[in-house]
Amino acid sequence: MTPMTPNDDGQPPSPERRRTLKWLAAASAGVSALLAGVPSLRALLFPAFRRPDEKRWFKLGEISAFEAGVPTRVDIPETVTDAWVENRVVRTVWVYTEDGSTFTAYNGRCTHLGCSYRFDDAADPHYHHEPKVFHCPCHHGIFDPKTGAVLRGPPPRPLDTLPTKLEGGILFAAYENFRVGIPKKVAV
Amino acid sequence: MNALFRWLDERVDLAGLKRALLDREVPARLTWWHTLGSATLAVFLVQAVTGVVLAVYYSPSPDHAYDSVQFLNRQVGSGALLRGMHHWAASAMVVLLGAHMIRVFAVGAYKYPREINWLVGVGLFLIVMAFSFTGYLLPWDQKAYWATVVGTNIAGTTPVIGGFLVALLRGGAELGAATLARFYAIHVLWLPGLIGVLVLLHLAMVVRQGIAPRPAALERGAPPRTTDPAYAAYYRDAYAATKRAGARFWPDVLAKDAFVSLCVVVGILVLAAAFGSPLEPPADPSDTAYVPRPEWYFLPLYQLLRIVPGSLESVIAVGVPSALLIAMITLPFFDRRAARNLLHRPLAAGALVVLLGGSGLLLGAAARGAPPRIPPEVGHPLRSVESAGRALFNSQQCRTCHTVAGEGGQVGPDLTEIGLHHSPAWLHSFLEEPRRFHPTGMMPAFGPPILSHQEIEQLAQYLATLRGSAGPKAEPQYADTFPETRP
Repeated sequence: MTPMTPNDDGQPPSPERRRTLKWLAAASAGVSALLAGVPSLRALLFPAFRRPDEKRWFKLGEISAFEAGVPTRVDIPETVTDAWVENRVVRTVWVYTEDGSTFTAYNGRCTHLGCSYRFDDAADPHYHHEPKVFHCPCHHGIFDPKTGAVLRGPPPRPLDTLPTKLEGGILFAAYENFRVGIPKKVAV
Repeated sequence: MNALFRWLDERVDLAGLKRALLDREVPARLTWWHTLGSATLAVFLVQAVTGVVLAVYYSPSPDHAYDSVQFLNRQVGSGALLRGMHHWAASAMVVLLGAHMIRVFAVGAYKYPREINWLVGVGLFLIVMAFSFTGYLLPWDQKAYWATVVGTNIAGTTPVIGGFLVALLRGGAELGAATLARFYAIHVLWLPGLIGVLVLLHLAMVVRQGIAPRPAALERGAPPRTTDPAYAAYYRDAYAATKRAGARFWPDVLAKDAFVSLCVVVGILVLAAAFGSPLEPPADPSDTAYVPRPEWYFLPLYQLLRIVPGSLESVIAVGVPSALLIAMITLPFFDRRAARNLLHRPLAAGALVVLLGGSGLLLGAAARGAPPRIPPEVGHPLRSVESAGRALFNSQQCRTCHTVAGEGGQVGPDLTEIGLHHSPAWLHSFLEEPRRFHPTGMMPAFGPPILSHQEIEQLAQYLATLRGSAGPKAEPQYADTFPETRP
């Protein structure tokens, strides 16, 4: 019978035997690491491969409620499942209409880093010279309510518009969130 | 005692350990600046001790995290002090670590033969930054929540892998329960394990290579570059010469280290006792008026983001820290000149001045630009009880029915000027059981168990601040009638 440990026969193991032993040790360690590592890594990275949420249609209100030329903020409470916690969150949509018949709906999150912007009726001498703009308080991105275009500040793209539809004089918008801080509009 | 020592010594060679660790000879005339590293280590130990106890009381789930922190703050003996120490020690850590790195940079101690230990130090620096970023979220208050929203979004602007990175950090599309659990695990399991290994490695290499001497001792007669074949021999002799005065690690060095560490720990304790640790109202993802600001050591970067144009944004937000990191990692490999004194290294001195000066200017600008937190509908900064009430106002969806300053529903009365017409006491009674006042009204009751009396009081205090265009200084004309007093 071949001795199991190198020195059982009183002789140092041959170079070939040592090579085999080294290979065996490395392979055992490597395979063990893979066996434990692959499921661990998969569980860890799992959330990064999720698909974007589906669009949800929300009622924004009767069209008569939206004043022409002045953006209206609509807060939509939604019950969402946040991992294992059921949560009430508020989705904010800003509605703008020039003529009371065509409507633009903006996602209420700033495209810069995702803060909630607000509507400034009057000029703010510190941050913007024009009245009636959207102003994000975090890094002072300024947007044009008519087009969503960036007037000033760091946002990399215009405000994200949401699809809208009119049914029986009631305005609906399909809410979804987009990645922020990048020039491209990518749903998350 | 001696018998016990001998028994142990035979088995684990205590005497050898003492010779290697404590009795080793060190360069003569080490400065007080040399204590910065050990002071950082002392603060790390404070973090470890306070941290493991904080973890005993903490619950890493969004529905309990804030309450568990409140419980620790209010009901656990020394709980608030402990949290304060962990908070101030985190800042002290950043300060001391920064100062230690600056000293090592200034005396050229990252050069031959300490390149690898400089890299280990850079690793430790990154781990400390990761500690502060993940620890920041755990109290789950407004500041924690919003600063992390912005912080993870910045990670999302990284080219190519941004989307992957932000989803990985958050454990989902949005900041929530999965994020908190992740950050908790990273903060209390991953990073401590990692930092423990690196700290031991860092110290083991200091023992093996010896403490870096004053720069002058390694400049006299040195070959011009550390890559010179003669440099290794030169270094060996020059370093041995610094030890001839016979200074030893114990107690010559360790006494200084221990004294400075004591001062630092006392400082942390005093700050914790005097200022505690901030805790804002609970995280409220729907609070659109909240303006997040990061912790002070991220403020230079924050300020930089505010002054660069949008097109350069991601270049700056991800590029500047990455460039600094790459510079730190490659530093010992491109700076091979033997000069160690900062005065003999004009380029290094210039870089240090630019980096420190730039950070200082940005930090100053950020500090000056700190906006007072003025909710638009109130017109003045809120007291903490009022801002807690404001958070409740938002989280209880009061705006679904009521309008404040032009925002909200039309079902109930407009509350824009409610503080002019009703006292906090009346508002408290009303919120608790509105039907006592208007038997047919639609307003739901918010008395226990919906809200606690404390929460109702917070809400009432907030409502009392609403004075519309009359402004905060307006004199209220209360028209309170209580059902009990009605004829």
